[in-house]
Amino acid sequence: AQNSLIIALQHHDIFDLESPNADTEVLPKGIAFSFIKAVHAVNQRLVSHNSSESLGFEVILIANECSEESKVKIVENVKHYGMEICKFYFCKKDEVIKTLQSNNVKLFLSTDSDEIYKALHADVPAAVLYDQTGVLDQLKVTFSGDIIGLPEDSLDSLADLGFSEAQIKTFKSAKICMKEFAGLIGEMRRRFGHENSPLCTCLITVWGSRNICLSALKTLGGWGLDVDEAFCMAGAPCSPILALVKPHILWDGGLHNLRDVPNFEL
Amino acid sequence: MSEIKQEELNSTNQNVEKADETDWAAAKAHYENLKSKKPRPPKPKNAVTIAVSSRTLFDMVKDRKVFEEEGLEKYVEYQQEHENEPLKPGSAFPFVKALMTVNERLRTLYPDSEELFDIVLMTNNHAQVGVRLMNSINHYDLTIERFCMTGGQSPIGYLKAYMTNLYLSKDTKKVQEAIEEGIAAAIMYKPDMMMELSETQLRVAFDGDAVLFSDESEIIVKQHGLDTFFEHEKQHENKPLAQGPLKCFLEALGKLQKKIYAKNERLDCPIRTFLVTARSAASSGARVLKTLRSWGLEIDEALFLAGAPKGPLLQKIRPHIFFDDQMFHIEGAKEMGTIAAHVPYGIGQKYNKGKLIEQPEKLQK
Repeated sequence: AQNSLIIALQHHDIFDLESPNADTEVLPKGIAFSFIKAVHAVNQRLVSHNSSESLGFEVILIANECSEESKVKIVENVKHYGMEICKFYFCKKDEVIKTLQSNNVKLFLSTDSDEIYKALHADVPAAVLYDQTGVLDQLKVTFSGDIIGLPEDSLDSLADLGFSEAQIKTFKSAKICMKEFAGLIGEMRRRFGHENSPLCTCLITVWGSRNICLSALKTLGGWGLDVDEAFCMAGAPCSPILALVKPHILWDGGLHNLRDVPNFEL
Repeated sequence: MSEIKQEELNSTNQNVEKADETDWAAAKAHYENLKSKKPRPPKPKNAVTIAVSSRTLFDMVKDRKVFEEEGLEKYVEYQQEHENEPLKPGSAFPFVKALMTVNERLRTLYPDSEELFDIVLMTNNHAQVGVRLMNSINHYDLTIERFCMTGGQSPIGYLKAYMTNLYLSKDTKKVQEAIEEGIAAAIMYKPDMMMELSETQLRVAFDGDAVLFSDESEIIVKQHGLDTFFEHEKQHENKPLAQGPLKCFLEALGKLQKKIYAKNERLDCPIRTFLVTARSAASSGARVLKTLRSWGLEIDEALFLAGAPKGPLLQKIRPHIFFDDQMFHIEGAKEMGTIAAHVPYGIGQKYNKGKLIEQPEKLQK
């Protein structure tokens, strides 16, 4: 598709290589399965509304440090499961970021928060991937409003909370990188009505007050994304709410991935 | 966890809890950092959480009409066009303002405590409508920092996730679901005329049977008549009634009142509770008072009407909210200017003015 939303996934998230059944010919499904299925459904609906639709998701697979045998196994399994994966990149572990950068990836998904942070640091848009197998029949894309809703000078004041300059710089550039992805998702979302959409977008503000959430809503709106659901936690525990929202992906600009940030005053 | 919360949320994952604590600490630090004059919202597990829907907080009658006549898409568009126009106050607005007043007092007396009211906006409106809702909240400077805009999903799961103590809505089905899940809930009605309400004291009135207490006695009245009821109540005077859906909310109010009394401010308490029951003091009142005592609960004023209409008395009390299970009493209260909240619980739902409703209930949207 011309107007592609290229999403990069890694083979160890697509297939469960930790499982005891990983030696068999057919690899067991991994965390990314429900996401790929949901993405496929969105693409189908887009085309059914308009057969000459140019906007759509494109999923690429990145595998690092694979033997020749594994490479074949991966390609065979993708075919076996009928997954629409258009490109495969086999590379070394330290080449992953370069691979992402050189392929116009609009979003890199991972379950590893360190990896996500490293990608964001290198100006690659990245987000957390969740397993929602058998739960939803729509793709749920969630954004955290804490970075999006903070104006420039407030982002700088995060230094008082113990974040380093490098970390703050990462948050700022993560915000800028997200603009394109948000715009494309917004355009995709508009192809469907408010009800019965295969795609649902959500904003969750974890730390910020209502005005930060309001600011995030307006910023996303300005980027072309009118979210469907919004939650403002103002510090209330976020996990019970996330358990109900059931996102496939959650973008938080790296902020909440940094669980071990020092100097929080209790 | 504070005694105010009845249930404990099951968090089996230690990492998840640690993450939640970090989020909490960060939010706290962030608030203090921004040097905001606004008070920081309390931790939900320590607070009395009140969830209000958008239609109870604000008057959205006109907007509802757009939704019903022109559909969802046009409705969202309409709200976006009017997003900078603040909505007018709704039936729960005075109640919310009164909660804020109590919080101010509690913060003065206990500056470090989190045993406060926490008000959450719980709506299944789409987030785009939320912009207008938040602008309106800003306009009135309400302390509502938390909200759920579920974009069409049922709010019931979110009520539990927020550890809600009381849920107010205009949607019968949602309120019934909440009550079935053990959350105190009621359907708000706007009174036919507005009365001046106290700005320094939160005043909450409760009916007894099927609101604070179970509907066991009401069943006897409906099925066997008043005489049997009086006999039964006298016989069982010393047996506490089972609890009703609003008992826990009264309990939460009581705990906050005790904190005020502990600071020697009983005479100037910013919370006052009322029992307004059709029971008569002589024949069936004792059981009610003894039940409350057995629960360790106090109610400030107990008014036994012996069947007289509640409207005139409520007009004198001027509560910010009055809970009753029977629509007959709700109508009566409404007509005389009281903000009434219908608790759709128990046998009273099958009757109208003492007569059994034969037809199935009309489905409400």
